[in-house]
Amino acid sequence: MVGASRSLVLRTLLLWAALETVAAWQVRTADGSPLVLSWLRALLEPVAWFAGRGGDLAGDVGRGAGDLRRVVVDNRQLRLELEALRARDLLLSEDLAAQRELRLLARDGALFSANAIAARCVFRDLSAGTMEVRTATEVQVRRDAPAVTAGGLVGRVVRSEGRRHWLQLITHQAAAAAVQTPDAEVQGLVLGGGGTLSVAYVPRQARLERETVLLSSGGDGIFPPGIPTAKVVRIRETSEPFLEIGAVPTADLQSVRVVLLLPEWSRRGG
Amino acid sequence: MLSRWTIPVLLTLAAQRLLGLPGLPAWAADPLLPAVWIVAAALRSRDRPWPLAALLIGLAWDLVLEPVVGPGGIAWSAAALALNGLAGVVADRSPKAWAGFGVTAAVLVTLVHHLAVLPLGLGSSLSAAQVLRTAVFTGAWCGLVGLFFALELPQRWRTLRARRLR
Repeated sequence: MVGASRSLVLRTLLLWAALETVAAWQVRTADGSPLVLSWLRALLEPVAWFAGRGGDLAGDVGRGAGDLRRVVVDNRQLRLELEALRARDLLLSEDLAAQRELRLLARDGALFSANAIAARCVFRDLSAGTMEVRTATEVQVRRDAPAVTAGGLVGRVVRSEGRRHWLQLITHQAAAAAVQTPDAEVQGLVLGGGGTLSVAYVPRQARLERETVLLSSGGDGIFPPGIPTAKVVRIRETSEPFLEIGAVPTADLQSVRVVLLLPEWSRRGG
Repeated sequence: MLSRWTIPVLLTLAAQRLLGLPGLPAWAADPLLPAVWIVAAALRSRDRPWPLAALLIGLAWDLVLEPVVGPGGIAWSAAALALNGLAGVVADRSPKAWAGFGVTAAVLVTLVHHLAVLPLGLGSSLSAAQVLRTAVFTGAWCGLVGLFFALELPQRWRTLRARRLR
């Protein structure tokens, strides 16, 4: 009974809807089209609007994805450029620092002959006590030619090949340099000891203080005299006839960038 | 049933159209003459007819009196459904019931027709006075018909003729 009543209501409602549609088909709008078409348009317009918005949204998402991809690529490229610029900046800073060192060296250039050769440090191993430097042009540097920097003595040339030159630092285990105090009252021999130096053969009665800068004396026949070589950091008396003296290089071997190779000093000095 | 009532329904529709002729009073077209058929179907018919007949009356009403066909079918069938439901709960079949059913039918037809025409943009207007006049006149018309059946005038007329023939 209830089902039949529902069916009756449903059929009646459908019939009414059909009749209303028929009536709307007979009514014309201002543009002459049936009213039912404008109803259909009104019904479909939200759907079309949503569909259009969905299309726009999809397009926006697509464009956003494309833009994001481009941004990512640009970002990557910019990062690379930034890294390149940083590297270039580092190189320029390095070059600038090298130029400063070179200027400091030039200030003291009067000490050396005009044949001094500037070389750029490209590699150093402080624990091994070696350094590789490169000159601007191919030049043959004689073995044992001293290498100095603005801070002081660096070492000596042990091998030269074209633009590449290998140095033995004064901190090398086998390195040695004759030194003296600035007033030349105390003399000794600086010996390499890995990262540090020791000063040997200084008599116990010698008047020597910490922070004293020892200059090369030229007594070893390798290094020219008057070059700052080591600074005394520790003095200790032992039972031996000589003082036990610890020192550090006056040159900052860790950050040295430019060195001067002095192949001709002995001739001028000699 | 449909064929039996077709001509009387068409006659009431024709009368309804005549009531709207120029020269007649403005209120003359207010009563809904065909309403008596759905009232009679609700009050006198033993079976509950599906409002197809009312639907056809409404479509005919549209064809004769309205600019578009369709809203009349909705309005008249809705009124017929309501009257059928009302007849199920109202036991009175007196002329007053006829009048009340006529009022109900008139109000329903007028309101539903207005609602059905509203989305079509045909500029249908509706006022309470118009609804009231239509309801009153239609109720009076249906009450008259109910009174006609209550007085059993046809049967009395047939009895009177039989006596004269003797």
